Amino acid sequence: MATLSRAEALKIITEIFPQEPTVVTLGATVRELIATVGKRENDFYVLDSMGLPVAIGLGIALGRPENPEKVVVIEGDGGLLMGLSALPTVGFLKPRNLVILVLDNGTYASTGGQPTAATTTDFAAVAAGCGIRGVTVDDDAGFHAALADAKAMDGPTLVRMMIDQRSIKTPYLLEDPILLSAAFRKLVGRT
Amino acid sequence: MSTDNERSDAVIAGLAEIKPAVVPMLPSSTLRRILDWVMAQPDIRSFPVTREEEAVGIMGGLALTETPAVLIMQDNGVGNFLTALTTFPQAYHLPCFMLIARRGGINEYNSMIHLISERVPAILDAANIRTFHLDAMTPLDQWTRTVVKGYEFARITHRPVAVLVNLMGG
Ligand SMILES: Cc1ncc(C[n+]2csc(CCOP(=O)(O)OP(=O)(O)O)c2C)c(N)n1
Ligand SMILES: [Mg+2]
Repeated sequence: MATLSRAEALKIITEIFPQEPTVVTLGATVRELIATVGKRENDFYVLDSMGLPVAIGLGIALGRPENPEKVVVIEGDGGLLMGLSALPTVGFLKPRNLVILVLDNGTYASTGGQPTAATTTDFAAVAAGCGIRGVTVDDDAGFHAALADAKAMDGPTLVRMMIDQRSIKTPYLLEDPILLSAAFRKLVGRT
Repeated sequence: MSTDNERSDAVIAGLAEIKPAVVPMLPSSTLRRILDWVMAQPDIRSFPVTREEEAVGIMGGLALTETPAVLIMQDNGVGNFLTALTTFPQAYHLPCFMLIARRGGINEYNSMIHLISERVPAILDAANIRTFHLDAMTPLDQWTRTVVKGYEFARITHRPVAVLVNLMGG
C-alpha cells in the first residue's frame, strides 16, 4: 500500500540525486517538483510530449557514455505506458548511467484521476523482461534504499515508486522551452 | 538516370562526411545498402528503435548533449512521430536530422503504403517541418551535397529537418 505522496517522493528523489541531470515528465509533476524543492539547474522539464521522457533520458545517457554520473528520468505511470516501447531499447543498449523512476499512482492524476492500466501491470517485471533491473517500492524506507542502490549500481535500473493520489495545487509554468533546452545544454553539452 | 545503388552510395558518402556518432534506425528494405554501411562503421553507434517517436526522443536527448546523430527511417512511420517531433525538438529548438526513405511511388510493390507515403510531404509541410527532396530526377551529383547540407541546416536552424530520399527510382 502506498503511503507517500508525489511531493514526498520527489523530495526523496532530489535528496538522493541532488545534481544528476534529471528529465522530468509533464506539467503537473514538473510544477509539483518546483513547488517542493524549487528550480534546480539539473532538471530538464518535458512540459508536454507525454511518453517521451525515457527516450529523452536514453538519448542523454548515450550522449555521455564515458560519464559515470547517472541520468535520471522521472516518469508517471500513464506516461510510461504511453512510451513503454522505449524499454526494450533501453534493455538492448544497456546504458549503465540510466535510472528510470516511475511515480505510480495508478491513475492519470493530472487529468482527473482516471485509472491507468498500471494497476494491472507489473512494471518491474516488464523492465526485467526487457533486460533492465526492476524493483518496486512502496514506503519511505523502500524509496531511500532503492534509490541509493540505483545511484550506486550500474544501470539501467527502473524503480517503480508506489505513491498515493494526493497532489498539491500549483501555478502553471509558462517557461519558453527554448530557454529550458539552452540552459540544460550548458549542463550536459560537450561545449 | 542513376541506379538504385548509385543513389544509396551517394547518401552513404553524405553520411561519411557528416560523421554521426549515433544512428537510431528503423529499417526499410529500400535502405538496406545504407544501413549495411552504417552498421559496418566502427565509429558509429547504430541501433534499432521500436518506434519513430522513441527515436525522436533519443535524438532530442542526443542533441542536448551536442552529439552528432542521424535518424534513418521510412516515410510511412511519419504518422507515428508527429506529436513527438512538434512538441519536443521543434518546440525546444533542438536539431533533429532525419534521413527518410520514400515509399509508395513508381516501382512500389506494396498495395496500400502509398495511402500514407504519398501524403508525407504535405503532412510534414502542414506540421511546419522543413524537408528537402531527392529522387530519380535529381542529378546524382546533388545527392551527397543535399544530405550534408540538410544535416548542417538542422544544426544551424536548431530544428528538425528531413531529407526525403526516393531510392526506388521514382
Ligand atoms: C498525447 C497526450 N495525450 C493526452 C495528454 C493529457 N494528459 C496530460 S497529463 C496526463 C496524465 C499523465 O499520467 P501520469 O503519467 O500517470 O501522471 P500523473 O498525472 O498521474 O502524475 C494526460 C493523459 C497529453 N499530455 N498528451
Ligand atoms: Mg499517474
